[in-house]
Amino acid sequence: MLVSSAVVVSVGLLLGAIGLGAFIWAFWVGAFESLDEQARCILDERDLRMRRPWETPGQARERRRLYGGPLEPGPGEWGGALGRGGR
Amino acid sequence: MTAPAASTDVVTLRDLDEPGRVPALVAFVSAVAWLLVGSLLGLVASLKFNFPDWWTGWAPATFGRVRAAHLNAMIYGWASLAMLGISVWLVPRLVHAPLRWPRVATGGIVFWNGAILVGVLALLAGWTDGLEWLEFPRSVVDPMLIVAGGMVGVTLLGTVLGGRARHLYVSVWYVAAAFVWFPIIFVTGNLPVFRGVESAAVNWFYAHNALGFWLTAIGLGAVYYFIPKVLGRPIYSYQLSLLGFWTLAFFYALNGMHHLIGGPLPTWMITTSIVASVLMVIPVAAVAVNHHMSMVGRFASLRYSPTLRFVVLGAVAYTAVSLQGIFTAFREVNRITHFTHWTIAHSHVGVYAFVTFVMFGSVYYVIPRLVGRDWPDGRLIAWHFWLALGGIGAFVLALNLGGVLQGLALMDPQVPFQASVEAAAPWLAVRSLAGVVLTAAHLVFAWHLWKVLRRAPTVGPLPPWHDPRPVVVPPPGPWS
Amino acid sequence: MTRIWALLLGATAAMTFALVVLVAIPRVQLRTLEPDPQVPPYTATQLAGRRIYVSEGCVYCHSQQVRDPSFTYDTLRGWGRPSVPTDYSWDTPHLLGTMRTGPDLINVGSRLPDRSWHLLHLYQPRAVVPWSIMPAFPYLFEVKPAAADGDVVVVPPSPYALPGRVVVARPGALALVDYLLSLDRTKPPVATPAAGAAP
Repeated sequence: MLVSSAVVVSVGLLLGAIGLGAFIWAFWVGAFESLDEQARCILDERDLRMRRPWETPGQARERRRLYGGPLEPGPGEWGGALGRGGR
Repeated sequence: MTAPAASTDVVTLRDLDEPGRVPALVAFVSAVAWLLVGSLLGLVASLKFNFPDWWTGWAPATFGRVRAAHLNAMIYGWASLAMLGISVWLVPRLVHAPLRWPRVATGGIVFWNGAILVGVLALLAGWTDGLEWLEFPRSVVDPMLIVAGGMVGVTLLGTVLGGRARHLYVSVWYVAAAFVWFPIIFVTGNLPVFRGVESAAVNWFYAHNALGFWLTAIGLGAVYYFIPKVLGRPIYSYQLSLLGFWTLAFFYALNGMHHLIGGPLPTWMITTSIVASVLMVIPVAAVAVNHHMSMVGRFASLRYSPTLRFVVLGAVAYTAVSLQGIFTAFREVNRITHFTHWTIAHSHVGVYAFVTFVMFGSVYYVIPRLVGRDWPDGRLIAWHFWLALGGIGAFVLALNLGGVLQGLALMDPQVPFQASVEAAAPWLAVRSLAGVVLTAAHLVFAWHLWKVLRRAPTVGPLPPWHDPRPVVVPPPGPWS
Repeated sequence: MTRIWALLLGATAAMTFALVVLVAIPRVQLRTLEPDPQVPPYTATQLAGRRIYVSEGCVYCHSQQVRDPSFTYDTLRGWGRPSVPTDYSWDTPHLLGTMRTGPDLINVGSRLPDRSWHLLHLYQPRAVVPWSIMPAFPYLFEVKPAAADGDVVVVPPSPYALPGRVVVARPGALALVDYLLSLDRTKPPVATPAAGAAP
């Protein structure tokens, strides 16, 4: 019982050390740097410039100001043909 | 958006999507086939409560076998295959590298289908391991699943390692980690060395984590992709998504024993799980706040985007199911709701209203980009959505209510057991009706998928979102 | 792509930590548990019956655990004393269950020790419990013109009677009932060294 408990406790400590090590490593290689850039890395120019029909005039102005003149969305741009017949 | 000046290499979205096209399509189409099979099995199982003398002469149709087949067809057939499909499509886009070894991925997905087929037939034949969520025979089906999942996992890992993106987006964390977590828990759960209460502990360690580290992980990965992508703006707070991921990893894994509250296990195990369940407030709140703040002011988008409609409702259901789970883990609640249909309602909020809705939304986004043409009929999407929402709403309300009434009757020792059966009975009838509605929703979905797949290839210009769009691939940074 | 390795390592460490807490430590703790001599191993027939209990999915509606009186009123229903880990020493797979669509069965052998009651109940639950929603298991029985020597005959009452024919239990039904009758954990448990175990 004593021996096995010691094994379990040391395994637990080792895992904690590995977890901490992974965290420090991730920090070291820059996983927590430039978070805003990371959040934007899935968006390309078309995503950012496209006109969204649901946006308020203010939101649309802001988009134009940040990313330039709007591109027109194609049919089914948002994942399906709801614009045609459905609601 | 950083300046693309330093780019040395340019690929297009179509270059990234193309190698994963076949495995993703095979996964989605077979997933929907399993969705239909699972719906029918679920409907039969539900009707057995209402008409206990219906179809009793044939052993494979008995309730206990059909229920197991329903659960496994839905979890490993529908949800897992849809998740494999979304993974092989999403990961290449996220890491800016085409899918490695796509034929291995296709082979893995086909083999996974074979495993599910053998497994479901085995369950109907009465061949089961007898552990909830782990019913598939461990001597045949489980090794097949490990090999098949491993084949897909290897292609994804190879893709990520060959990735050229400067950053690992949060969706990659969830998807990549899921492919590490799932084999660990699946192998542990299937080890044939446990007996008695230990077997129960390992059983629920697995079953709870299958939801948390497989279904939830890839489900959240998809949500984190589609909300910003369709809205055209980044997620509200990337810090929160970091916090949500790591707290989920550490707290969720300790939750499983709350399925055995009051049971004959060492008390400290159950207490640990209750504490960890309460701590789940942190990742749940982080994810909920993040998604909500990303949507604020843009809820009108739900009228335009079927993808967002399903995905956002799925995200809301994730918050709801997590809060319900925390609530259920309190002993005061659990003494009433444990052993009742409340639990069934809870699992369907998680697996259906959250995971399945997110997968529906994902399929609506991905399929047109795989086949190069749009869904033909918006009305079918609307029908699918409202039937699914109405069906699951009625299902969950009925079983939550029926479960509480059943539990209150069970908790009163003056009341005969009969009262608990009769308290739940009308709600079980509502559940069967809801099952009919859900099956109808799935038939509409499958019909629509069939229509988009079999239409002749588009002649003329492809939709604008299918045009090759350059994706900026910056040169490797000093630390990537 | 160094970051992916850091991520996967951290994720694995988190999962392995839970594995140590909820699987490894309990294994160490429960390994010292001696079986209760009052709970003998199942006989071959009982094991065969238990396999049918498993394959027909009885566990999806019937629990096999009595919770502590400080927590619920399970004991006041006459379902027996609170369960302890040694009640399950020979159970693989475990059948603790998560649903009570039907009543708890951990002590059904003590509560309902009548074999013919169980056989009739399996053949047609509503013949003995009119409000039951349990499925009937007619395929565990055989309907034939006349019983042979050694056949165990079930006599369903009206309206389930089959005039001119007899209902005979197949070996599976007999084994299953044998298993059900073995479910009796009513004697006070013998104290075991695992003091940390909950009642």
